[in-house]
Amino acid sequence: MPVAIEGLPTISRDYFELFQLPVDFDLDLDELAGRFRALQRKFHPDRFASQGVGERRAAAQLSADINSGYRILGDPVARAGFMLERLGRDLKALEREPVEGSFLMRQMELREALRALETSDAETRAEVVAEARALMDEAVAGFRAAISNDDLTTAGGFYVQLLYLKKLHTEVAITGEPV
Amino acid sequence: MVLLQIAEPGAAPEHTPERKLALGIDLGTTNSLVAYVEDGTVLVLRDDEGAACLPSVVHYGAEGVLVGKPAEALALTAPKDTIASAKRYLGRDAAEIGETDYVDLEEGRLAFVTSQGSVTPVEVAAALLGTLRERAEAAVSLPISGVVITVPAYFDDAQRLATRQAAELSGLNVLRLLNEPTAAAVAYGLDSREEGVVAVYDLGGGTFDISILRLERGVFEVLATGGDSRLGGDDFDKQLVNVLTEEGGLGGLDPSQARHLLQQARAAKEALTDADEVTVALDSVVPGAASVTVSRAQFNERCAQLLERSLAACRQCLADAGVAGVDQVVLVGGSTRMPIIAEVVGEVFGRKPLDTIDPDQVVAMGAARQADLLVGNRDAEDLLLLDVIPLSLGVETYGGLVERIVPRNTTIPVARAQEFTTARDGQTGLVVHVVQGERERVEDCRSLATFELKGIPSMVAGAARIEVTFQVDADGLLEVTAREATTNAAAHVVVKPAFGLDDDEIAAMLRAGYEHAGDDMRARQLTEARVEAEQLIAGIESALAADGDLLDEKERHHLQAATMQLGAAAEGTDIEQLREAIEVTGEASATFAARRMDRSIKDALGGVALDALAGDSEL
Repeated sequence: MPVAIEGLPTISRDYFELFQLPVDFDLDLDELAGRFRALQRKFHPDRFASQGVGERRAAAQLSADINSGYRILGDPVARAGFMLERLGRDLKALEREPVEGSFLMRQMELREALRALETSDAETRAEVVAEARALMDEAVAGFRAAISNDDLTTAGGFYVQLLYLKKLHTEVAITGEPV
Repeated sequence: MVLLQIAEPGAAPEHTPERKLALGIDLGTTNSLVAYVEDGTVLVLRDDEGAACLPSVVHYGAEGVLVGKPAEALALTAPKDTIASAKRYLGRDAAEIGETDYVDLEEGRLAFVTSQGSVTPVEVAAALLGTLRERAEAAVSLPISGVVITVPAYFDDAQRLATRQAAELSGLNVLRLLNEPTAAAVAYGLDSREEGVVAVYDLGGGTFDISILRLERGVFEVLATGGDSRLGGDDFDKQLVNVLTEEGGLGGLDPSQARHLLQQARAAKEALTDADEVTVALDSVVPGAASVTVSRAQFNERCAQLLERSLAACRQCLADAGVAGVDQVVLVGGSTRMPIIAEVVGEVFGRKPLDTIDPDQVVAMGAARQADLLVGNRDAEDLLLLDVIPLSLGVETYGGLVERIVPRNTTIPVARAQEFTTARDGQTGLVVHVVQGERERVEDCRSLATFELKGIPSMVAGAARIEVTFQVDADGLLEVTAREATTNAAAHVVVKPAFGLDDDEIAAMLRAGYEHAGDDMRARQLTEARVEAEQLIAGIESALAADGDLLDEKERHHLQAATMQLGAAAEGTDIEQLREAIEVTGEASATFAARRMDRSIKDALGGVALDALAGDSEL
């Protein structure tokens, strides 16, 4: 029986280049969506349905890359990971590195608070949601600053924080409490 | 004196912008339809009596096979030989269906026992498709280039493959399998040209689908899809059957009586669309039985649970799509004629549903539009469809758990990889079990295929790195590859339905068909293959002239050699050899095509050149 290895598989192409966008953590999501549509309009396999098998196969691969790129660049956490990876960082190794103790404490407290949300009053609830947002915003800001200064070590640390927080958000979404 | 004609190097030979004919087919549980586009207008084809719907019923009697209305007429007198709702069994196995009317062939495959012998659901579907094809051939003068066949969005991989097989068996070239709600949205989208978010509520005879799409600048993007592949108009019929059975004091009906009662219930359901109540005379079912009166309110109440199931799927789909609300709601499928449907669906989405296109025909019409687009007709609207996979795909991992590789609602085509490792020391083989579904445990998901990766070098547990790649094409069909990183040992599988027909069986059936049809079919196929070969050669030559610099000397020779062999094969009459050569040449040109596409990315984005990109090449 196979055993899953955590982490993302290695990327195959530079999605910033594919979308002809500057390599920048801050990107305009509407602009990205517009470029996504323009690329798919040209390269989707449907556009090559009556052509040779070579074109059809190449279009299927490129179209799949465009879909992956859109998903990765469109999601801040995935985008952060991709930016590190394209600069040669090994994300799997990064995920094994220890996380800063104070962050770990805060997110563990947050996790507990989120678990107790159902039984808490509106005021506590608002506080917990605000804390979750604040943690996310801090990690995003930290990553943004570090990556623009080419400080990959610090950026890597914030990326791992983002992964923790994303997981937290997903878990909370499952229990029906949007953050 | 004859002057030599000198062609401009690399100029593609002039092709007359000939119109191609492609069909859209709605292969429904209860009714099937066929449509095509002529001069920009969709035409739904009708039979000699003017009916657009072909009842999806096939009769396999001792005296022969009947399709559609004549078959339906025999449903009462010969229920065992008359197969209705075969779509419910496509790509499924006997264990999943669990009814006694069917035999369990070798390998657990499901088939119907008829006077014509065992008939698989794929063959029943092929008979329906063949009849629609004949209807189209009688109506149009052009040869049929291909078809788009619609499937419920919720169809899994096995069900999609079974549908493709049925088409192959009926001699149709499938351009695309299209999700039914998406087809309906295309029909409405092209009709209104209004941009925005659309919800499509599709309640057919046997399946329920809900899809949420966004139309923006000619791109129709499916945001989320969901549904219930075991919920349809038939279930509402059954509720009425129950009411009639209870109140009419009926019991112990034979199959013929049961079918008769079902027909009465169906008629009553249809009558309740306009009437507040309906009286059903049951003495035609069981002589002497009293009449029963059913009110619409009573019927609605009996169906409350069924309605709630569909509404729960709607709410989930809205959440998955990540949209606050929708701009339009479209109703599809004959079952949405029940007034209660428009009422409850309108409430959930906060919009009055649109019903300007006949709900029975809208799917076939959208399929015809897409078919016209796919064969590249010039007057076709510039519209692109981006669909999603309806159910998550993954593999079984330790402890019977599912590791999800492609989550549901991922836009297709998609290629996704995940790394795995071994659980035991010295393990040299790895069984990859591919499953589809949303549940955590393997036994709660649908098993699609199992294959083994061999030749993993003996290492301690956890040292091997095995990359499993899932590729889903634009039809939603899956291919899986597993590769061990250190040795490059690879195993590859195209997922095939375990309970459908295998390739050899299809080939044998097709051969039998050719013998029956005589040499005409073969001659036509040879002509078609030659045209394809010529187009391929011309395309490669013009591509080499335009972008030949993208290939090195060796690659260029390789491609040219393949092209020459293809030219030679096209001169001959061996159709298998020609097809093989087309495949080989196409394969050889794939890398070239990919590089040419990469080169034209800037053009696709309107030639945007960004200074920020210059000098940034760390990858």
